[in-house]
Amino acid sequence: MISSFLRWLEHFFEPQPAAKLDLKRRNLIVGGIAGVSTALLVRSSPLGEGRTFGPELIRPPGSSPEDDFLARCIRCAECMKVCPTNAIQPALDEGGIIGLWTPVLKMRLGYCDYECTLCSQVCPTQAIRRMPLEEKQKTKIGLAFFDRNRCLPYAFARTCIVCEEHCPTPKKAIWFEEVQVMTPDKKLITVKQPRVDPELCTGCGICENKCPIADRRGVYITSVGETRHPKNQVLLDPYAS
Amino acid sequence: MARPKTTLPVWLRRVSQSAFLILFFYFFLQAVYHPVNQAGSGVDFFFQLDPLVLLSSWLASHKIAAGLSLSLLTIVITLLAGRWFCGWFCPFGTLHQLISSWRSARAKDKLATGGYSRWQKTKYYLLFALLVACALGLNLTGWFDPFSVLYRSTATILYPMANDAVGASFGWIYQADPGIGPARVTAVSEPVYEVLRRHVLATSQPHFYGTTLLLLFFASALFLNLYRARFWCRYVCPLGGLLGVIGKNPLVQIRQNRDVCNDCRLCVADCQGGANPDAAGGWKPSECVYCWNCHSACPHHGLVFAIHVPGGKK
Repeated sequence: MISSFLRWLEHFFEPQPAAKLDLKRRNLIVGGIAGVSTALLVRSSPLGEGRTFGPELIRPPGSSPEDDFLARCIRCAECMKVCPTNAIQPALDEGGIIGLWTPVLKMRLGYCDYECTLCSQVCPTQAIRRMPLEEKQKTKIGLAFFDRNRCLPYAFARTCIVCEEHCPTPKKAIWFEEVQVMTPDKKLITVKQPRVDPELCTGCGICENKCPIADRRGVYITSVGETRHPKNQVLLDPYAS
Repeated sequence: MARPKTTLPVWLRRVSQSAFLILFFYFFLQAVYHPVNQAGSGVDFFFQLDPLVLLSSWLASHKIAAGLSLSLLTIVITLLAGRWFCGWFCPFGTLHQLISSWRSARAKDKLATGGYSRWQKTKYYLLFALLVACALGLNLTGWFDPFSVLYRSTATILYPMANDAVGASFGWIYQADPGIGPARVTAVSEPVYEVLRRHVLATSQPHFYGTTLLLLFFASALFLNLYRARFWCRYVCPLGGLLGVIGKNPLVQIRQNRDVCNDCRLCVADCQGGANPDAAGGWKPSECVYCWNCHSACPHHGLVFAIHVPGGKK
């Protein structure tokens, strides 16, 4: 019994008869070269850690830095299924062709719920690291910017506070500056113009999601400021004097 | 000649395949918000059983997520017994086999395409290329890993479509409220809808960008089965390739009774993996998914899978 088991083990080191698995060395070399060159091609891409950062490459909170993320993510879409707001979408070219079908957040469809860590709970390879809710609530995935050409108080002298009302951080990341502006019939009125505090904003995107300007929003998220990349930042300290 | 009756192992396999396919969709539905901030359990079960995910993420990131070590079980089973995983468990394989059954039932047609083709080695070369890229830090296995493909396609295509169709159908019944006299269809449809809404349907209709490309990939994988039975498993699947390498010399092997064989090749016609169950000494364990179709197809009961003692009597 033991000797036949040993003979079976021996099988793995013997040359295989033609009927079994006979892989051609030449083809294996071709496969190897294909693998090496794909990897090298990707490393030569301008999109990547420390080179440039895609503004629309907004990864779920807890995602590891891009290179490690791509090494782990198996594009299974569990995070997309579980996301309760439908924000997580399969990437097309946001992260380069190599990031095809990896998760990115599209704030016009959904937003990152302040009370939710589901994507990190289901990720089978922990490309999205499982973390306690308190830590997630301090994890930045991007930063909000106002488009002053479209945001109502700036563009049309109309009062609108929708984004600020939805902002979920304990101290709101959107604050108002009261400014006197002129209406089309030349009346001076006071409106609240929203501003973002980059210290407090987590990039959750609920402001972009709820913005009443239906097509291109008056406020939008880009990936800058994300916790996972120390280099993808606005400034080290935005309010240093 | 009358077709032989489907044998017990084939029925057992079908039960196992159905169970795991259902389990896959059950776990799929568990990936949903449970109050408070809790996903259901078992959501990544199939990925945990997947040694390709284990190997690729370890090669590429040098780290292994805790749950993935469960796939060592798959490796051990395959090392000892061969690619049963593909034939009996893999839900994507089950789907392929299901669609392969839509092919022409004529043995003559199936014979022309059922045998081994050297193109089946493509999956090993693809696997090798993927793993080499992984070693250099680029992990693209997710594009081809069977569970990734199935989960991704279910999440972004099948589920949203099904969710929409079910919701719209029950909505239409509710609106139209058909019935005969006082008997209303809604008396039945509404409770059914309530159950579906609670356990199966999404709380709000999911929408996804880029479904055309996703669908193209998924539909190709499915409909190529009409060209060759279990096309994906034979030619493409890198997990199948990995298990084929691991299980290239299993302890469970085919036993051919050459005395009763009259070379009718019905076993080849029904072979799912292109493993040449008919050829004397030519059966390919790396291609065989242990579906037992050959055992069932043989009119003379000349084929059976049994423990093979190396160096012993054949």
